[in-house]
Amino acid sequence: MNKKENREPIDKVEKLKTALVKLKEAQKVFATYSQEQVDKIFLAAATAANKQRISLAKMAVEETGMGVVEDKVIKNHYAAEYIYNAYKHVKTCGVIEEDKAYGMKKIAEPIGVIAAVIPTTNPTSTAIFKTLIALKTRNGIILSPHPRAKRCTIEAAKIVLKAAVEAGAPEGIIDWIDIPSLEMTNFVMRASDLILATGGPGMVTSAYSSGKPAIGVGPGNTPAIIDESADILLAVNSIIHSKTFDNGMICASEQSVIVLDKIYKKVKEEFKNRGCHFLNKTDLDKVRKTIIINGALNAKIVGQSAYRIAELSGVTVPEGTKILIGEVESVELTEEFAYEKLSPVLAMYKAKDFSDAVDKAERLIADGGYGHTASIYLDPLTQQAKYDEFTARMKTCRILLNTPSSHGGIGDLYNFKLAPSLTLGCGSWGGNSVSDNVGVKHLLNIKTVAERRENMLWFRAPQKVYIKKGCLPVALDELKNVIGKKKAFIVTDQFLYNNGYTKPVTDKLDEMGIKHTTYYDVSPDPTLGCAKEGAKQMRSFEPDCIIAVGGGSAMDAAKIMWVMYEHPEADFMDMAMRFVDIRKRVYTFPKMGEKAYFIAVPTTAGTGSEVTPFAVITDETTGVKYPLADYELMPHMAIVDADMMMNAPRGLTAASGIDALTHAIEAYASMLATDYTDSLALGSMKIIFEYLPRAYDNGPNDPIAREKMANAATMAGMAFANAFLGVCHSMAHKLGAFHNLPHGIANALLINEVMKFNSVETPTKMGTFSQYDHPHTLARYAEIAEYLGLKGRTDEDKLENLIKYIDELKGKIGIKKTIRDYGVDEKAFLDSLDEMVDQAFDDQCTGANPRYPLMSEIKQMYLNAYYGTNKKV
Amino acid sequence: MKLDKVIAKRVDKTIYRYEGMAIKVFDENYSKANILNEALNHARVEETSLNIPKLIEVRMIDGKWAIVTEFIEGVTLAQMMEDNPEKYDEYLEFFVDLQMTTHAQRAPLLNKIKDKMHRKISETGLDATIRYELHTRLEGMPTHNKVCHGDFNPTNIIINNEGIPYILDWSHVTQGNASADVARTYLLFHLANEVENANKYLNLFCKKSDTARQYVQKWLPIVAASQSVKGKPEERDFLLRWVDVVEYE
Repeated sequence: MNKKENREPIDKVEKLKTALVKLKEAQKVFATYSQEQVDKIFLAAATAANKQRISLAKMAVEETGMGVVEDKVIKNHYAAEYIYNAYKHVKTCGVIEEDKAYGMKKIAEPIGVIAAVIPTTNPTSTAIFKTLIALKTRNGIILSPHPRAKRCTIEAAKIVLKAAVEAGAPEGIIDWIDIPSLEMTNFVMRASDLILATGGPGMVTSAYSSGKPAIGVGPGNTPAIIDESADILLAVNSIIHSKTFDNGMICASEQSVIVLDKIYKKVKEEFKNRGCHFLNKTDLDKVRKTIIINGALNAKIVGQSAYRIAELSGVTVPEGTKILIGEVESVELTEEFAYEKLSPVLAMYKAKDFSDAVDKAERLIADGGYGHTASIYLDPLTQQAKYDEFTARMKTCRILLNTPSSHGGIGDLYNFKLAPSLTLGCGSWGGNSVSDNVGVKHLLNIKTVAERRENMLWFRAPQKVYIKKGCLPVALDELKNVIGKKKAFIVTDQFLYNNGYTKPVTDKLDEMGIKHTTYYDVSPDPTLGCAKEGAKQMRSFEPDCIIAVGGGSAMDAAKIMWVMYEHPEADFMDMAMRFVDIRKRVYTFPKMGEKAYFIAVPTTAGTGSEVTPFAVITDETTGVKYPLADYELMPHMAIVDADMMMNAPRGLTAASGIDALTHAIEAYASMLATDYTDSLALGSMKIIFEYLPRAYDNGPNDPIAREKMANAATMAGMAFANAFLGVCHSMAHKLGAFHNLPHGIANALLINEVMKFNSVETPTKMGTFSQYDHPHTLARYAEIAEYLGLKGRTDEDKLENLIKYIDELKGKIGIKKTIRDYGVDEKAFLDSLDEMVDQAFDDQCTGANPRYPLMSEIKQMYLNAYYGTNKKV
Repeated sequence: MKLDKVIAKRVDKTIYRYEGMAIKVFDENYSKANILNEALNHARVEETSLNIPKLIEVRMIDGKWAIVTEFIEGVTLAQMMEDNPEKYDEYLEFFVDLQMTTHAQRAPLLNKIKDKMHRKISETGLDATIRYELHTRLEGMPTHNKVCHGDFNPTNIIINNEGIPYILDWSHVTQGNASADVARTYLLFHLANEVENANKYLNLFCKKSDTARQYVQKWLPIVAASQSVKGKPEERDFLLRWVDVVEYE
């Protein structure tokens, strides 16, 4: 072997320090290599290790006095060939994954210098394995061999290094400690960037306490169950094959075999026939005392042949004996055979039934193999339930079926897709940071590069929106002629019912021969009780169509009844759960429309509920309001017929109309606003400013104004159904609820404050939404002003004029200036203020507001609106 | 001072009784530092709530260093065990309780047991591989701060005439993991050929202190190695058998 020039043996901490500096330098260079360069090095190194598999195996057995040369050849072969094969096409340098559409890419970077502790049981194969995966990932690696196996471990490292350097790797990219000691191992662990510790628990504990990220592995105590349904020939011979492999030194190797009573004899026969020796009672005791001393494994038996162990125990067995089997009963640690034995010594248990077998296996794993490997032999075609039970109950990170566990656990030999590895993670059960077979992915830092992307938005509206004064009967005609409905359930309030508002509907239904019934007990703030009552009636009437006639209350109540009718099991608390993004909400709203088609016929121009996916209901027993929002709640059909609104009283006209205006303003300022909602919002505002005073003044005598307002309200509804609202509505909801103000009035009293608040260019906090890139709501308000034809030199002027314009409108339709003007008692207001602030902050509408409000800011806005003061927020 | 009442004689020291005092006289070649350290350790333990003979002085007697402590009049627990075999279990329980009381003490300035064990392992003269295994094993053990007597056995417990127990001989005291102390006591039973009592003792301790047996057993290779440093030649084979074990790989 070509010894590397100028390399001083590392036998002192000082030399180790110097060596680490060099290794770090080499790794820095290596980190700049391309995938192509790395793959070339990886191939050359794997090939070189592969070529030396026999000489390394011989060295290992000679030096450690443990194991079997021929089996170590397989391990070396495996470590070179299987690792190469598994990772040859794996990208480990630079961009390894990219998704341009989503603006994401993953970049693999090396970790730096890896400290690798190499065990005596696999001194060359583990060295090959660890150095190869380090090369593939552009890491530097320093090996800390075990003193008992240092020569062969170092030789393996030299072979890999030489080939790697010849293929272009930086000089010294692999290094090793020549004279290992605990002090040096500890030092190297502290000085490295990552520790790959394979070794005893002491070593793993040291690794984890070094302060550096560590990948440690744990002990195994693999039980193998042989079920009645197993192929006994295959089971027994697999276990023998595995247990004798390298004299039992693979940690995944079977330590105990648990055989079902019914087949015990047969299994025993097969073991005997294949050269295994069953210990008699006296010999069993002798072997017990030899293999385990004070609960620890006797170093002298590790990796020895069955014959040699028998000899050490003073037991005579034929020279070619494969395994010493002790038939034992206890699975407790007082039984020496229940331990991990790292030699061809096997415990055999008789289980009275399958569940007893699993109990025993569970206990053996708890004894000393948490997280490692468990094995079972059964027929999966007929015994799926047993297979599932075993899989569920074993607290091990590898569960093998009908497989020799030594060969099975290390992966890729007797199975697919289990990563080939000589370092097997045991998860948290085994006190490890990884639970899978260690591979290149554990030696990389993956950078995820995520580019800013804007969220997809949407525009959703009822399937059908029918518009025109007098269109009601024409639209309803579809019930019979297009969609073939048979039974209609009408929801309305007493006033509308008594004043004949539902008559045009029922007349038309009668004419078409559609059966109908009417629920007319909806109160202004619809309650859960009323919704339940309505739903009850629906369940007995079983309508295939629901027609809501009225303002927001009747339409909301009808929506809730609809939910209860279709999904009596649904829980309101769940449905009312707040969300940040309606598309990512935790709760999946039940599918609507399977029983009944929903038609909304508004009788006021304001709420917009006929085209929105929202409904609010109050639990009258607790006073809690449930605001529901989901596109499932969207009516199927909206019929906007001004004939239904002609006689609305002036107060209602004013309150609904100004409500519609605030819908449009908030939807326009919302962070979720789109060109679609903008057009609707602007168009709606223009109509409202022009026609609301006329509708207010002239009432039934101005059908044009009524019709224009009907459209404006529905347009604003469509805008906010998709762009949502803002903090004005959050505050209005609570103000209305606490102090009994009509919803529209409450909004009117707060909108000026909110516009001033939102227009601040240096807000305390701006809203969180990808599209909203900087505070620009002032400009948005200015756009509204321009659209309405208002003048102004600056955006600030325009906002001021817009607010003035709104005030003028409010004046024209008799809306007072402050909350106090509406007779809200000052003390009552101040007493409820903090509660209102908390609830308004938490209102669903707050989320879309372009300025994220602090609670103190909401409070000040309330105070300004109450007193008519102008304190800046 | 006429020293003629010999209480005990060891290889390199003799203990005399003189007017209500116990006087431990060291040979001339005994390390002065070790003697002063022993006196200091003793003084530190005196500050705990344990009953131990008071340290009176450290002085030279005829050119030899001596540690002078109170003499406790009474009978050793070992003697009592021998005299009343039917009460053995009762005495053993008392013994374990007393050891647990000792473990409950804190003396933050005492030497650390892990430091001491690392040093002892290095001094064993065992081959490098075994020492490496032992050092690694020790390194992975939890570091506690309980007072560990280090030679806790029934001959070091004396019950005075009022029935109050005193613990003697604090030359090996350290602070650290109590299981190491227990492992050592267990080993001492074994070395005294009392295998059955050793197991009885260990089971009792584990039960009373809610400690897993394996947890104590993990210390056995270490305390056995440490014992081998100064141990008797005839014990060496026995100790090495305990030492040469491995952990999983």
